[in-house]
Amino acid sequence: MSENRWGFPDLGLGVGLRSPHFQHILSERPEMGFFEVLTENYLDTEGLPLYVLDQVAERYPVIMHGVSLSIGSSDPLDFNYLAKVKALAARTKARWISDHLCWTGVLGRNTHDLLPIPYTEETLRHVSERIRVVQDVLERPLVLENASTYLEFVPSQMSEWEFIARMAEEADCGLLLDVNNVYVSAFNHTFDAEEYVDAIPGDRVCHIHVAGHTHKGTHILDTHSDHVVDPVWALYGRALRRIGLRSTLLEWDADIPPFEVVHAEVLKARAWRDREAARAA
Amino acid sequence: MRRDPNLRTTAFPLDVVERWMQAVIVHPGAVQEALASEEASRELPAGSLEELVKPSATLTAEARVAIYREMYLLRMVEALATDYPVTQYVLGEEAFTALVKDYVQRYPSRSYTLNRLGDRLPQLYLEEPERAGAAFLHDLTSAELALTQAYEEAESEVLTPDAVLAVPAAAWPQARLVPVASLRLLALGHPVLPHMEACRLELPCPKPRRGATWLAVWRKDYTVHRRGLSRAEHHLLQALAGGLSLGQALAETAASLDASDASKRIHAWFRAFVAEGLFSRVELRDRQP
Repeated sequence: MSENRWGFPDLGLGVGLRSPHFQHILSERPEMGFFEVLTENYLDTEGLPLYVLDQVAERYPVIMHGVSLSIGSSDPLDFNYLAKVKALAARTKARWISDHLCWTGVLGRNTHDLLPIPYTEETLRHVSERIRVVQDVLERPLVLENASTYLEFVPSQMSEWEFIARMAEEADCGLLLDVNNVYVSAFNHTFDAEEYVDAIPGDRVCHIHVAGHTHKGTHILDTHSDHVVDPVWALYGRALRRIGLRSTLLEWDADIPPFEVVHAEVLKARAWRDREAARAA
Repeated sequence: MRRDPNLRTTAFPLDVVERWMQAVIVHPGAVQEALASEEASRELPAGSLEELVKPSATLTAEARVAIYREMYLLRMVEALATDYPVTQYVLGEEAFTALVKDYVQRYPSRSYTLNRLGDRLPQLYLEEPERAGAAFLHDLTSAELALTQAYEEAESEVLTPDAVLAVPAAAWPQARLVPVASLRLLALGHPVLPHMEACRLELPCPKPRRGATWLAVWRKDYTVHRRGLSRAEHHLLQALAGGLSLGQALAETAASLDASDASKRIHAWFRAFVAEGLFSRVELRDRQP
């Protein structure tokens, strides 16, 4: 399988646009397939971040990645927020808009965390309906990422990967496969990460994330604060083998090192991509 | 709130699960207190934890919920430390974390962005004057909030010396000097710049002391600046920012200056204000009849 069903291009390798790197990116103009931006950091601001984003969007493809859509919440959707997301996407000519399969708060509150949902038939209907509404508003497919989770609900009626596959089908949405999150959740919940990756409908995957994490012994936290570990790279290679080449992003959001370090880390994905390209040829 | 009927078909409807989990996550007490809290018990009977959350091979259900509680507080602390680094430096990490815990109970985030989370921290010190160092910390947080606001504001065009020279002398009394959008003027009861400097240089903080202090905070070329003002400078800038003409603002300010050198001082201020980029443009008005 080589393409996603919307024809979103393989943009190669990218990193997140983070403020410690603003100056380096503007002055050095590093070779980069794309930059991913945290959507909410550029809403309701007219300051330096938006200025830098405008400059970056002139030179590089931009992908928007949100953390506050709260698609799994039982609160009503925030249409004011969606309008701003849509406007920012138009401003930056964002190639696609992604967020997470999670909820972030209820009763009007935002915990700013990616909280887990029970994988039930009821949740599936609820989330799928909301995705369709969001896609109608945004007038483009929504791309949803599997979040790392630290607990499982007893009432869940299906695995996370079954839920995601069915959700993508029922809502007709795109997927962002975060292989680090798969690895983290697989450790935390003792499931088979490879089975998960193999079950994801490849034609719906528009984008792949890799990242570092923090191993706490009893569980793993998705901290985006370190280099990518070898088993996550292996999972990435497996994902490419199953679904083909996809735009690949390295996330590094805490203890952010100099840009060169982040850049070098994402370039490690090149070997896996070259291997897959050679195999497919 | 209207409930989605689709959510009511299991023993643990999604909306109930979410309200329960949020109540447990944001509760300020220990995890056991959170699980037994009134807010959580309103959603699910106490003792429902094991029926709702699976233990893992290494963690109990309670320990798994606790991970989310810790991450919530950590995220709130990180967000507020970004906006209030000097306050964190002055208080120390432990006291700052305790402050954040109290603050997000009173003013939880209701926005899609964390950038607005800290907007009411100065307000907290006004509302709770019994807090240790409340008067000084109100002033310090007000100054840090002004820096954040200036950072977020729209970039303005900046008045140039050439544009000033182009204004006919006779037009000045009726002219209005429009400040850049990012300009914030503060009148405080304590000096705070020494604490900002101590934080920047990682030096010991001076003890807070009372003393009338006036500050200007603004942004030029996407860099935020701050500087102390005299009372009269503050008064003048405040009058101009409030929309008074230059003539009116000067008349108000000159009254508080020594007449012998008022004109000289005011000219020096204006040269500095323009050079520093505090003004955006001059609006010329018709003379009043």
